Amino acid sequence: MWSKVYSGFGYWDVYVWLVFFGISSILVLWLRSLGRADYKEGTEQDEIFYGSNEVPEDGDDMGVPASSAYWGFVKALKPYYDSLVEIHSGIVSDYVGFFIFTAAVLAVLVLL
Amino acid sequence: MNWQIHLPALALAIPLLGAFASPVAGLGGRSIRNAWMVFISIATTAICLLLLNRVLAEGVMVYVMGAENWNLTLPSGLSWPIRIILQVDAFSAFMAVVGSVAALAGAFFSLQFMDKFTGLEKFSALYFLLVTGMLGMQLTGDLFNFFVFLEIASVASFGLIAFWRDRPEAVEASFKYMVISTLSAMFVLIAVGFLYGRYNAVNIAAVARMMHMGYAEKIALVFLVVSLTMKCGTVPMHMWTPDAYAEAPAGVTCLLVGVSQASLYGLFRVCFSLYGVSLGSTVVPWTIIVMGVLSMFIGVTMAVIQKEVKRLMAYHSVSQIGYILMALGVGLLAIRDPQAMAEYGFTAMKGGIFHILNYTMYKGLLFLTAGALFYSSGSRNLNEMGGLARVMPHTTFMFVIAAAAIAGIPPFNGFVSKLLIYQSTFAVYPLLAVVALVTSVLTLASFVKVFQTAFLGPARKKFEHATEAPGSMLIGMSILTIVIVAITLFPTWTLSHLVEPAAKALVDQAGYISAVMGGGL
Repeated sequence: MWSKVYSGFGYWDVYVWLVFFGISSILVLWLRSLGRADYKEGTEQDEIFYGSNEVPEDGDDMGVPASSAYWGFVKALKPYYDSLVEIHSGIVSDYVGFFIFTAAVLAVLVLL
Repeated sequence: MNWQIHLPALALAIPLLGAFASPVAGLGGRSIRNAWMVFISIATTAICLLLLNRVLAEGVMVYVMGAENWNLTLPSGLSWPIRIILQVDAFSAFMAVVGSVAALAGAFFSLQFMDKFTGLEKFSALYFLLVTGMLGMQLTGDLFNFFVFLEIASVASFGLIAFWRDRPEAVEASFKYMVISTLSAMFVLIAVGFLYGRYNAVNIAAVARMMHMGYAEKIALVFLVVSLTMKCGTVPMHMWTPDAYAEAPAGVTCLLVGVSQASLYGLFRVCFSLYGVSLGSTVVPWTIIVMGVLSMFIGVTMAVIQKEVKRLMAYHSVSQIGYILMALGVGLLAIRDPQAMAEYGFTAMKGGIFHILNYTMYKGLLFLTAGALFYSSGSRNLNEMGGLARVMPHTTFMFVIAAAAIAGIPPFNGFVSKLLIYQSTFAVYPLLAVVALVTSVLTLASFVKVFQTAFLGPARKKFEHATEAPGSMLIGMSILTIVIVAITLFPTWTLSHLVEPAAKALVDQAGYISAVMGGGL
């Protein structure tokens, strides 16, 4: 077989998944076809709902910037991120320090 | 005489010729230089594919430089090799093919991506010098030569990372990489010195044959492991990665992904073929596993908070290297126990080696799409992007494929290698698989962020005149996309014809030694 991968703990068949995605796609298209046919293009039905506010002309004024993504996740892990960002100082002597530190720790573990 | 016996030498000679003749080709104008770059890249890839085909058919190839006969590894009267020997088994050839495909894609992409800059003959010379260094590391059977090729690759990388020398950030990134890289190269050289002092040989097979663990061997092992894990961007020595990957031109970053795999190759050649069962304790395997776990988690959590697209992808490189280290660490853990190797060790190794192939392809493609975004929008800051799928439909399509593959979404290739890694590492210690799964979820979250902020959203006025990436850049991205789709559709063929032979070659230390040493010693 060209599609089955045996892992020693079970198997995985890519073609089964492709069939699954094919059937899912047909279902999605069928659901979409059940939508209202009396939709009127060019009327207010066509306008974006922007929290009852006027829609800005430029997309720059309404996009969510990348730095705001997952703010809750980052806020929840603030202590972790504070220490992590501090380690990533961008100072080359720190890079060398981590290298030497790792070498020293591994040397102790291997030599003892 | 069959010319194919010279394939190992040709795999190094062709890119080296490409490097030294680039300034001459540059005299003929841009079209001649571009044609030369394409010709050399295709020829190198073809040679590596032929090499893999021959190794899979006939077993380990050796090529003795400067000998009367190309396969005379032990001249009469000598019990160990004295000449430079290229030694290519299925793992070396596999890595050479993976690296050369990344180099081919990067070369096509660079043709138009770099078109508006000057000094391109120097660029292509350094590019092929980097390819030579990468392939040399993967094909040599000699420790000192490994160091030489490592240095060739490093020096070429310094120049390429700082290629946009009007950007202070690029010069700074190159300087940082130079400092840390030179330090690690010295460690490698000292380690080679230790082994040469003990065994009077630098050939990997010869040293492996005589290896007995003492203090000198242990110190050499520590120096090699630390240096090579640093070179492939492992936590806590990964900090150079986002600097270097972000500042290098996109085609070069794609190649740097392949070059980092050459260091990974060196690490596993040292652990499996040089030391192998002589490793003794489980300290080194567990150290590699722990470094892998840290790399996975710290890499991906740092990626989530990035707003600069190439830095984000660079942190993902750290994370993906973690998967490979963890898998091959588990394989190393089982090296002295045939039952453990049969139960989970070999599956872990197959997963790790499969992930090397997958990672190089989709990460190379992701860096190229980041380059295409920069080319069209003039920015690498995700906060300034948006709505670019409207003007870059082909790039968007290829980005989605690469992002789905790296996130391990079925049925893409990344899922298959990750599945093998999850299941085999679970058998050793379930927490390893849990960390790998959490990392995969965060990887998906991170690339959803890139997709949403760069490609989706309303159209931006400032991108009114932005256009799709030009032809050669699309060709470069398409090469990697086609490989990813092919691996996705035919995982069994990939595993049985490419990955399993490579994994078997890596665990077969006796086979590696006997190819050079024969019945000697």
